[in-house]
Amino acid sequence: MTPEDKAIFDKLAELLGPFNEKGVELKPETEIAVDLAIDSVSVMDFVMEVEDHFDIDIPLNVLSDTHTMNDLVGVVKARVNKA
Amino acid sequence: MRVDTTTEIGTGAGMDMSAARPQLTPTLNAELVQRLGGFTTLCEGLDYAAQGQTGMNFYGPRGLLEVSLSYRALRKRAIETAHRLVNAGVKPGDRVAIVAETGPEFMAVFFGCQYAGIVPCPLPYSMYIGGHEAYVSRVAGMLESAHATAVITTAHLEQLVREAGQRARVKKVWNHDQLVQFDCTGAVLRPFGPEDVSYIQYSSGSTSNPKGVLISQKAACANTMSILRHGLKIKPTDRAFSWLPLYHDMGLVGFCLSPMMGQVSIDYLSTPAFARRPALWLKLMSDNQCTVSYGPSFGYDLAARRINGDAPSLKLDQWRIAGIGGDMVRADVLKLFGETLSVAGFRTTAFLPSYGMAEATLGVSFADTSEEIRVDVIDRTAMKQAGEAVPSKATCPDQVRQFVVCGKPLPGHRMRVVDEYGNELGERRIGRIEIAGPSLMSGYYQNPEATAAIMRQDSFMDTGDMGYWADGEIVITGRAKDMILHNGRNIWPQDIEWAVERLDQVRDGDVAAFAMEGANGEDRVMVLVQCRLRDTAAIEELRKQVSAQIVRSIGIGADVVMVPPKSLPFTSSGKLSRAGAKALHVSGDIAEIAGGFAGEAGPVAIAAE
Repeated sequence: MTPEDKAIFDKLAELLGPFNEKGVELKPETEIAVDLAIDSVSVMDFVMEVEDHFDIDIPLNVLSDTHTMNDLVGVVKARVNKA
Repeated sequence: MRVDTTTEIGTGAGMDMSAARPQLTPTLNAELVQRLGGFTTLCEGLDYAAQGQTGMNFYGPRGLLEVSLSYRALRKRAIETAHRLVNAGVKPGDRVAIVAETGPEFMAVFFGCQYAGIVPCPLPYSMYIGGHEAYVSRVAGMLESAHATAVITTAHLEQLVREAGQRARVKKVWNHDQLVQFDCTGAVLRPFGPEDVSYIQYSSGSTSNPKGVLISQKAACANTMSILRHGLKIKPTDRAFSWLPLYHDMGLVGFCLSPMMGQVSIDYLSTPAFARRPALWLKLMSDNQCTVSYGPSFGYDLAARRINGDAPSLKLDQWRIAGIGGDMVRADVLKLFGETLSVAGFRTTAFLPSYGMAEATLGVSFADTSEEIRVDVIDRTAMKQAGEAVPSKATCPDQVRQFVVCGKPLPGHRMRVVDEYGNELGERRIGRIEIAGPSLMSGYYQNPEATAAIMRQDSFMDTGDMGYWADGEIVITGRAKDMILHNGRNIWPQDIEWAVERLDQVRDGDVAAFAMEGANGEDRVMVLVQCRLRDTAAIEELRKQVSAQIVRSIGIGADVVMVPPKSLPFTSSGKLSRAGAKALHVSGDIAEIAGGFAGEAGPVAIAAE
């Protein structure tokens, strides 16, 4: 993990905090919706927090192929660098 | 000729964002007299609305107005799109599926189909993290069921829709940019006439067995007229707002067809944008002084919770109709919303409970538009044991059930409450609700068995819902069918069961999914899984896999209960009895096999019926 990836990962983990009711340990390979058992409405809440924090937009089609924390780090990184 | 004063942006293929900012369509038409329906086709309605200045306005995810589309401009684009569809080889009567993402492109295709005599089938676009496969299989099922000739998608969902098209062997898949490459003139158009069909809607039925609701021009015209005139009592000063999905009856009929048929201006926020920033709903309604909007209870809940400290800066005293539909009306949620927004002038008399379904185009009954919500408090025991709704003054929540009164049936429509033999029941007797009238669907598209299952010989249709009469108004107590309502979504238990049964350690018939009513009236999804494992760690591992599978394929969390093999009840015809499984679980006859979970299941069982 590059320092940039690590910084994004840590921020995502922080933003996920309120949604991680079971206190699941977050690792790069953690499947966000599945391992944390977040429903689709809460996922949208979380995505909004991510978008607002990084000032990016994450389209639905990108979201549909995003499973793990690592995937999301990649999405955020690509969108931030694009902007 | 009147001059259209609105600025149109994005009316062609290449959208020029550097052009002047779009301007909202006005609430009032300068000269055109308001006609609340009474047209014989959707085209006739749009031809009339196009003579004024009102129209549709589309907001972006951060609350900026992106596109303004007057009904005049919509008509022009729709006719151009009609030519393009015919020039692209689509024939009158063919079905064209279209991803119903809120925007001017969807509107152009939906109404373009009307002018070309082509049947549009709006498709969902809802999805969640990791929902790729679930979306593709859902859309493929709809395309197959509709025998669609073509499917039209937005650019950003193109890859997924192409995959679905391939699976359903639909060859013509276009994004909107590709569609506009076809010639927009020169085709011979055969618009739908008053005796023709209008569209097919797919919000009904499970993924494995999608059922398309076929709506005729007559039904669409009759229902929108009743909604405008009697349900909402629309006035020229009304302005609508909607964040509801256009693939759902409440979004499509209530907040696209109805406003157009009444020449009412409407402001749109897409559903995902609302889900991310629910407070935008209230802010934009305040900015534009909108008077009519609808949502399921959970939408009001989200908005009230997320408005934070901004409520005092809003002005919502003009909000005349705050309709509730799509899920069971939750009085506690509306109370919170009313309290939070009273500082903005919001009046709780605006809340309007109503009842309807896609099979009746949309609306069936509406409460009085100017009254407070009426809650009927009845005795829990009498309801359960005698099927009677006996008013109760008890204050203990264990002894009563509370239901919201949903008003009288729309004029021209009939409604009856019947017992299991079809005998009509009187005041305060709980039974199945059947309806008749001009708004009923023509049937499920190419599915005579499913149609025959709910159509009675005397022109009444079984709604599948349960309820009773209270002083001439209908009260809905629940669904007779197994459908689960979760955050405004209809979820079929079959879809959950099918997903779980695809796991290696689970066999067909091992799973029963149903809803249990939580303390506040919201549905909790319970999934019973027959489990042959003995080892605690293995059982927990399977439970985790089942939960994960449900999140991945349906996008919801569920309470997973592991139960002994051969414990789930089946009917004599070999069908799983979900109601039976639920009853046995509640009574404790089918219990969790691992000790650790029983503590959590206990309170749920008490809270549910």
